[in-house]
Formats: sequence, C-alpha cells, structure tokens
Amino acid sequence: MRQVALRGLRARPLRTILTAMAVVLGVAMISGTYVLTDTINKSFSEVFTQANSGTDVVINPSKVDDAFDASPPPLKDSLVQRVRAVKGVRAAGGGIQGDVSIRTNKGHRIGGSVNLVLSLQPKPLDPFTFVTGRAPRSDSEVALSAKAFADEGLKVGDLLTVVGEQGAKRFRLVGSARFGDVDTVAGYPAAIVTLPTAQALTGRQGQVDTIAVAALDGVTPPQLRASVGAALAGEPVEVRTGAQDAAQQTKDFKKSFGFIRTILLVFGGIALFVGAFVIYNTFTITVAQRTRELALLRTLGASRRQVLRSVVLEAGVIGFLASVLGLLGGLALAPGLRGLLKIIGADLPSTASVILPRTIVVALLVGVVVTILASVVPALRATRIAPIVALREGLTAAPLTSRKRIVFAALLCLAGGGILVYGLFGGASGSGAAATLGGGAVMVFLGVALFSPQLVKPIAWVIGAPLQRVAGVSGRLARENATRNPARTATTAAALMIGVALVAFVSIFAAGLRGSIDGAVDRAFTGDLSVVDKSGFGTTPPALVGAIRKVPGVAAVSGIRFAQAKVGSKTGTTSVSGIDPATIAQTYTLKWKQGSDATLRTLGSDGVLADTGFSKKAKVGDRIRLLTPAGRHVTYTVKGLLDEGSDFGLLGGGLVLPNDRLAADFDTKKDSFVFLRYAQGAPVAATRASIDRLLATRFPDAETQDRGQVKDSQAGKINQILYLIYALLALSIIVSLFGILNTLALSIFERTRELGLLRAIGTSRRQVKRIVRLEAVITSLIGALLGLVLGVLFALAISRPLVAEGFRLTFPVTTLVALVAAAAAAGMVASLWPARRAARLDVLAALAYE
Amino acid sequence: MSTDTFEQLDPTANLGATTIVATSALHRRYGEGAAAVDALAGVDVAIRRGELTAIMGASGSGKSTLMHLMAGLDTPTSGTVTLDGVRLDELDDRRLTELRRDKGGFVFQAFNLLQVLTAEENLVLPLTIAGRKPDPEWLESLVQTVGLGDRRTHRPAELSGGQQQRVAVARALVSKPAVVFADEPTGNLDSVASSEVLGLLRRAVDEFGQTVIMVTHDAVAASYADRLIVLADGRIAHDGPAGSAEAVLDVMKAVAS
Repeated sequence: MRQVALRGLRARPLRTILTAMAVVLGVAMISGTYVLTDTINKSFSEVFTQANSGTDVVINPSKVDDAFDASPPPLKDSLVQRVRAVKGVRAAGGGIQGDVSIRTNKGHRIGGSVNLVLSLQPKPLDPFTFVTGRAPRSDSEVALSAKAFADEGLKVGDLLTVVGEQGAKRFRLVGSARFGDVDTVAGYPAAIVTLPTAQALTGRQGQVDTIAVAALDGVTPPQLRASVGAALAGEPVEVRTGAQDAAQQTKDFKKSFGFIRTILLVFGGIALFVGAFVIYNTFTITVAQRTRELALLRTLGASRRQVLRSVVLEAGVIGFLASVLGLLGGLALAPGLRGLLKIIGADLPSTASVILPRTIVVALLVGVVVTILASVVPALRATRIAPIVALREGLTAAPLTSRKRIVFAALLCLAGGGILVYGLFGGASGSGAAATLGGGAVMVFLGVALFSPQLVKPIAWVIGAPLQRVAGVSGRLARENATRNPARTATTAAALMIGVALVAFVSIFAAGLRGSIDGAVDRAFTGDLSVVDKSGFGTTPPALVGAIRKVPGVAAVSGIRFAQAKVGSKTGTTSVSGIDPATIAQTYTLKWKQGSDATLRTLGSDGVLADTGFSKKAKVGDRIRLLTPAGRHVTYTVKGLLDEGSDFGLLGGGLVLPNDRLAADFDTKKDSFVFLRYAQGAPVAATRASIDRLLATRFPDAETQDRGQVKDSQAGKINQILYLIYALLALSIIVSLFGILNTLALSIFERTRELGLLRAIGTSRRQVKRIVRLEAVITSLIGALLGLVLGVLFALAISRPLVAEGFRLTFPVTTLVALVAAAAAAGMVASLWPARRAARLDVLAALAYE
Repeated sequence: MSTDTFEQLDPTANLGATTIVATSALHRRYGEGAAAVDALAGVDVAIRRGELTAIMGASGSGKSTLMHLMAGLDTPTSGTVTLDGVRLDELDDRRLTELRRDKGGFVFQAFNLLQVLTAEENLVLPLTIAGRKPDPEWLESLVQTVGLGDRRTHRPAELSGGQQQRVAVARALVSKPAVVFADEPTGNLDSVASSEVLGLLRRAVDEFGQTVIMVTHDAVAASYADRLIVLADGRIAHDGPAGSAEAVLDVMKAVAS
C-alpha cells in the first residue's frame, strides 16, 4: 500500500509539485520569518556581547515598569565616581548610546534610517579597536564604525555632520573602528565620540546610559558585582556581570522585537490556511479520480485503514516535500522580508543568516501537519469507496448530504461571527483579542466555504451570462464546467476568497483611517506649516522649535509630543500628549467637551486635560496619579475635558499635558509635530524658504509640510503599512492561484475524453483554451465576490465600535473594483498553462483513453 | 423464498467436503418501490472445490450479482452465502475485507492493474496488502506459467491487453485463494489472447487444484469450464456439465426459448 501511494506520487511528479506548492509558500513565510528574526536577534546579541567584552560588571538604570516601551531614564554621571571608589574596581566609565543621523559633507545620509552614536570608554572597558586613524579626542572629532567607513569610501580628515538633539554639528573624521571583532554595530553605522560629545548629542548632559566596570586582578565578576551592588544600594540601578548583562539585553531585545515575528508568522499562518484549502481540494479531486483504483485495492483485500493510511501517507510525503522546499524558500525569502520591513521604517541589521534547528523542526512539522490535516476528510472519503465500484463503470462516492452541510455551515458562520463580536467587545486585549478575532474569522471562512457550493450556480449564472454573450458557446461551456461540480469550484474559489476578503478588509480599513486623519487635519490644523521628521516616523530635535521661532515672519510655533504613562493601578499604558499651552490655539483647534482655549492658561504645573479615552469618566477637578517612564510618580488635576477622538485624532486620546511637564516629568523633549503660523502680512513663500534653509543647515532630517502635504504624509504612512500588508497577503493569493491551476489541470485530466470529443467535432484549439480560461475567470470571480462581501462585512463589524472614536468608514470603490478585476486576471493567468495543455490534447489519444 | 432445488434450509448442514461456496435462497433487490428490480430471486447453488464453474446468462439475468454476492463484494437482500465454511452475512466490513484478501482472487474485465506499479508488483499486490512475502518458488512458477518472463519490471501500459490480463490471473492465484472470481475475464480481448487467459485458468484448476468461478457471456470461454450454470431472470435455469462451445450455445438457446 505504501508502495502504491509513493509510486503514485512519483509517476505524477508535476502534480505532486503543484500540490506541494500550496504549502511551500506558507512554510517559506514561516521559516523565512524565523531565519530573519533569529538573524536579527543574533546580531544584536553579538553586539551586546561585544560591548561587554572588556567589562566585568555593568550598571544599568532599573526598569520603571515593564509596561513602558521607552528605555528607563539615564543614570547621573556622578555615580561613576562612587563606583570608582568601590574596592576591587580597576576602572569604571559611563557610556552613552543613542540615535543620531550621520551625513557626509555632501549632505547624504549614511546607511539606512538608523544611525547610532556611541561614547568612548576608558581602557580597558573600551570595545573599540581602531582600524584606521585614532580615537576622537575633542568635541569636534568623530570616528566611524569600520563597515560604514569603508562602504562610504571615506578617509581620515573628511568632514561629517552628526545631527543630534541640538541639530546638525560638524565633526572631523579621525578614524574607523571595529566594535569588538565585528565591523558594524548590528549592521548599523555608528558615530564614535567622546563621552561629553555623546552627552551633548543625545541631550543627556550630566547623565550616562550605563556604567561599565572592570575588576582588579583576582576579583571575579560576581564578587565585583556584589561589592558594587552594595555600594549603590538604594539607587535605581541594576548591577550585573558583563555576561549577565549581555544575556539580559538580548532577552529584552527579543521581547520588544517579538511582535514583528508574531505578525509575520500570522501572515504565514494565513497562507497555510489558504494552502490547506488547496490541499483539501486537490486530494478530494484525486481521490475521486482514483475511485476505481482504490476500489480495486479494496477488492484485493486492502482494509479501510490501509486505504486511509495510503492517502494520509501521500499527504505526508507531499507535506514533507513542501516543507523542505519551503525551508529553502524561507532562506531566500528572509532578506526579502527584511526589505519589506524597511519600507515601514524598521531598518533591521543583516548578518549571515541564522538557521536554528528550531526553524527546521517547525518548518517540517508545520508543512507535514497542515497537509495531513487537510487530507484527512478526503482520505476518510476514500475509505468509504465500496470495493464493488471497481467492477462498475460510472459509480462515485456519494456527496455529503447538502442539508447537513448547510446547517453545519450556518452554525460555523454564526459561531464565528459570535466569536468575532466577542473579540471586539469582550474586553480582552492584545494578543488575546487578536487570537479571538483570528479564530472567529477562521470559522466564518470555513462556514462560508462550506456553504459556498450553494452559491456557485447562481453566481456562475450571473457572471456567465455576459461571458456567454461575448464568448458564445465557449462561454456557455465554461459556465457549465464551472458548475458541473459545485463543491470543487466552491473550494477552489474559497481559497481565493480568503485572500481577497483580507485585502478588501485592510483596504477599507486603511481608507477609513486616511479619511479619519484627513478629517482630523481639516478640523484641527489651523496653522500654515508643519515641520516633521523626514522618515515620517521619527521626532524632531528639541532645539528645532526655538530655532524656527526666531525666523522672521513666523508668528507662532507649537510642538506636539507623545509619551506614555501608567495611570493608577490600571494595567497597560495610557497615551499622553504634550502641547504648548501658549501657542497651540494659534495652530490647532482643540475640540473641547468642557472648557475652552482659555482653560489652557490655567493648566499651570499640575493641570491636565482629559481626552476622549478619559473624558467619559473624568470630571473637572479629578486628580489623576501617574507613573511616568522617567520613574516619577506625579499627580495632576483635571482642568478641562477634550473630545479629540482616541485613536484617530492627532492627539492620542488619553491625557494632554503641557510640553514642559512632559520634559520635566516624562523626560520627553522631542516633538512629533511642530505646527507654525506665519505672522500677519508676512511673505508666505519667502518665510517658508527661510525655514527650509534653516532646516537644511541645522536640522537636515526635518522638512516642512503645508496642509495638503501633512495629509499626504499621514496617508503615506498608512499606505506604507498597507502596501506591506498587501505584499504579505499576496502570498496567500498566490497560494490560491496554485489552487485554481491545480483544480483546472485535474479537471482537464478528468475530461480528457470530452475534450477529445469537442476537438473531434471541430472545436478549435483556441476555443478549447478559451473554455478553460473562462472557467478560471468564473471561479476566481466567485472567490473574489465572496471575498469582497466578507471583507466589507468584517470592515463594518470592526469599525463599528471605532466610529465613536472618530473613525470614518469609507469604501475605496476604485481599489475594490480593481481588486476584483485583478483577481479575475490572476485566475486567467493561473489557467494559461492548463488551457494550453487542454488545447494540445491529441484528439485520437484522448478518445482512446482507457 | 424458493428452496425447492435443495432439501435443506441451512446450506452449511449438508456441505460436503467438495463444496467451497454455497448460497441459500439468495435474493438481491436493487432500488425501491415500483422501480425495484430483483436481480436475484432465490438462488441455491453449491460450487464444488477444484472445478472451473462458468456462470452465464443474458444481460440482467443476475450472473454478475451472483458472483459479487459469492465474493462478498455485495450484500444480499436476504439469503446466505457460505464461503469456505464462513457465513458472509455474519461478517463486518473488516472481516469481510480480510476474507476477500485471504480467500478470494479477482480477475476483472478491465481496470485490473495499477498503472503505477510494475507487472511483478501488481502480481504480488494481494500479498503486499496483507503484509506477506511471496514464496519465491511459487512466484517463479507463476511468472513462468503466465509467461511474464523478462517483462516483470514493465508497467501495465507497456504490456498488451492479453499480457495484462494474464498478470491479473497470476495475481488472483498468488495468494492461493479458496476461490478465484473471474468477471468476464476475456471481455476485452481478441480470440488469441482470450484462449491464453482461459488456458491459464484451466491450468490453474488442473495443475494447482484451484477453484475458479467465471462469469462470461462467451460460449467459447464457457467451454473451458467443468460446469455450466445459466441464470435467467434471477433464477438458475440450467446447471450441468459445460461441454463444447456448441453444446453451451445449445443450452443457451434452450434457456432463452
């Protein structure tokens, strides 16, 4: 029996490979994700280890709260002196690491969107080895990580611009350095400067991020850790040995970075889910086609169990093959995924790909398990074939009674819908809610797929009518073929439906998001210009607002910044936005629920405004106690209520505080938006030109945007994410196209005789091709239409609770129409090869078949 | 229920050592209500061990149904089948499958061989399914008998129709079953290939003592048999020695009139 299953696969290598392809892509996505994220994790872990190579003990600020994304506030650099005094300490030095941008004197930025600044450490703590030149000595000298130095073709003596908190500053390049034994810091270019320079660039004067300590000979790291820990008791610090610290940092990084892995894995999962449909359909068809063969085996004494095992074994082999191909595909895909993430500003390091045994195990397991699970139902159906079928022509297994199927489908849809609603309103948050939503969506998809054979005939009838008019008898035959086996067409279409539904859903959601933000900008932004970081995701240096204020013709400049806080004993964080009470009213219209712009002047040093997320419960006069990421417990009094909309306003929807409170209590000094208004009668073009000039020289990472550009850039940000999701969903759609290809190829195989007959009575090759292609178009249109309806329903359901928060549901009609057209075209492309095969059939051989 | 040809209601009670398959009051009805058709309307027959029995009859006479019931491929509406001492109606699907595997050999009109296996692999398939190894000597003598020779590793598509059917006969014999059931084994063959296949079945009976039940509508094929049973309208219309092809034709004419 095993022999029969394996031989069957070997005798039809093309079919085997095509079937496997349904799973290959999903496995490739999953293994590619693991390879990519493991590679990134490794390069960071390498950095952490290298950084601590000469270090016995590392002192870090202790975490304020696990809920915060932001790093804890830096340490006072006076601590360094105290550490040096500890017995057993040979050397101690404070270090700074931060984000800057590094530009050549031609003005172009080095590397990607992440540049680092690192401070020198005293020997022997210093992790740098200088390859060319020497270490910087003054506050106007810089060294560069060796890889960037070489890549940019720089030489000692060149001028570099480093943009930090105070804006652009010129440096002389004095050397290039390796970091431990690597020539790059996790793949990012790094500017190496003296400690005071690093403090100035990062705005951490008098502070350090870490303190590295080296032990005297004969003192072990754990001993040193104990004595340093004792000396700093009571300070908000974590004291670890170098090795512990590297491990801890690696762990923290993995945790904060884990969501990217999860998101990518979800898309891999979707592709596998779609692939399972394709596998299920392929096996259903091949089992039906092999009915007589299986019946013969049953006659010869093969038990039901043996038949089941042979089909499942076949699936297992296909799954294994798919997994191996998928694993190889994953290796190729990993750099592509990295490129995709770069689109949304996540510039991740690249080193040699890391393939952990876990990746291989997961890839193999996932591919094999999914394929086998998808084949179980067809395999069970195979066991129901009676032996006597071998002796009779034209007998096939009875289909599942449609009444039972419809009831089951309806139950699945209802249950799935219920779970979706529960996921939306049930109050679960984060991954719990996402899992619930995903589970609900899966059930709805399965339910609709089960029900869809009922829809095939009516939909095909509607779509087919115009086709018949255009393509005549070919159109009619295509429609007949598509509806001949509704279950087969339905499952093929269902695979495409999933991808189309998700694309439609995210398109609608993104359109709503863009519309909401446009609306918010139109309503609230009353200034003339906005100044933002060019990347679209960053912040502008604190010095920027003051510098622009001095430009002639500018009447008011107002920065908006964002932070997080923990409120009382609530879990998770609340968004906090910072505004400039003195100027915001001139550039931004706040939507007051209680209070007015006059309230802004009463905020003082403890006043807070409660926005949508809070204003339902909060009253003026309430006191709100917060824990800030800087580790401070502060209490503010509610002075007014806003209704800006929580997720879709420009402000975050939580609490609103003056910018100076964010600077003092939250250590948040950088603005995400800077809005400005020209003075009455100031020359508009000239004023903007002088601001642009100022930015070019002092803040080269920032740019001005007028109202239209603000909307465009916000839309651009959403589109970047949208395109990323499109690209990731494309994988699932490609999988479903393989499904169409497979089904057509198998159907043609089945209809060999019929095609021979058609050809014999004078149907041309072109007509045969057209019949097959039109069948594919009908099938994919069925899938696309079902998907469209589901996508719209999902969008309606999910946006409902958001409308109250300012979400404007809009339907991007052009996009959706294009989506359906693209699906039909893709179906046509998938049918090219089967169509050619059908047209090439030798008429005589086709008729003599069997 | 017609029991007039035999005295006993229980066929097992009087099974002589020579009887291998016995049916009692065998009924098979297809369809329901007005559309119902009685393919078999009470058949009592005892097939003797070591004989080649031919079953003939016009289309719809119930000859194939009788064989399917005897082989356990179909279930009677009423009545019993006893194969090698086992009452088939008492078996569940698993036991029935095992019984077919261990006690039956099958040759069909067409669609006999799996295209993905070689001739020899097809030949030993019943043993492979049962998880047994063929006895090399027995296998060798079968290969010689059917004249497979150097075509052992050929795929069915590379063999002629007669060769394929001879492989099918060898496959039916390989597990030394109690009964070989042959359903129109020559229906798709020309006369030369037919005589080879029939000769082969004959030799199996003569040389190996194999019991063979063959359904056919070809008088020449029936003339290779020891015994001829003719069915008409679901009942036995004739039961006697087979004789020559002419004699078979005479019997058929007599039954038809």
